[in-house]
Amino acid sequence: MFLINCPYCGERDQSEFSAGGEAHIVRPKQPTELSDDQWAEYLFMRKNIKGVQFERWNHSHGCRKWFNMVRDTSNDKIHAIYKMGEKPPIK
Amino acid sequence: MLNYNSTIIEAKEYSDIKISEVEPTLKINLRGKNRDFVTKIGKELSIILPTDPNTSSGNKELNLLWLSPDEWLIYSNDKNNLETINSSEDKLFNDISKTKLGSVTNVTDHWIMINLKGPKIFDMLSAGCPFNFNKFKYSKGAVTQTLLNHVDVIIHNKDINNLNLFVRRSFSNHLWLWMNDSARFV
Ligand SMILES: [Zn+2]
Repeated sequence: MFLINCPYCGERDQSEFSAGGEAHIVRPKQPTELSDDQWAEYLFMRKNIKGVQFERWNHSHGCRKWFNMVRDTSNDKIHAIYKMGEKPPIK
Repeated sequence: MLNYNSTIIEAKEYSDIKISEVEPTLKINLRGKNRDFVTKIGKELSIILPTDPNTSSGNKELNLLWLSPDEWLIYSNDKNNLETINSSEDKLFNDISKTKLGSVTNVTDHWIMINLKGPKIFDMLSAGCPFNFNKFKYSKGAVTQTLLNHVDVIIHNKDINNLNLFVRRSFSNHLWLWMNDSARFV
């Protein structure tokens, strides 16, 4: 069983959660001044690395809150979980 | 027009599990964040809003369940007639929603409440649920939202071996059949 520690509800099974992609992607301040390529870069391009990755997750079948997670994609080891708006506890 | 019709026809009893639908019961979803909202709800219902995760509070008539840091569910213990349900909703709506303290939504027709009783109810649930009931089953008033046979449910541990389960109307008949099937094998 792969458990995730929801910052609001506590430890729950992974099947209660949905992954929301890479975290900390900043929306460009002036989208109208971007080229199509730059906009596509912001909208679609994700790192998708093998190793430690910063991700957004949602406890969709529980409290329905979003939070951030630092996860190693190669072995599913979770290094940190922190709430939305908080700074990552590790680099 | 809201649909208050019962989705389930009969109560079922197995050797260690009793499953019955309790409808219509009053159910109201509350959302709010600030302190004024919390105190206003306390005054309206004479119940303190539970702020600890996975807990509930209540009195003889009503229960208040924690669903999320800014979301709660009110439900009545006993069956209610529609007049009582509507007048309770109106009062809360006028005092909370209209004054912009928070939001009040009548979800009486949205959730179906099913009561489960007996020493083997948690074995039955565990047949299709990833939640760990080890601590939950001994903590009176505990609340959890999880999946049961892939269906979203809210579970309120009313008393020892006596819980109320909430399931969305359109899933309720399917889950009812699954629970009856599962109860025969525990
Ligand atoms: Zn949660």
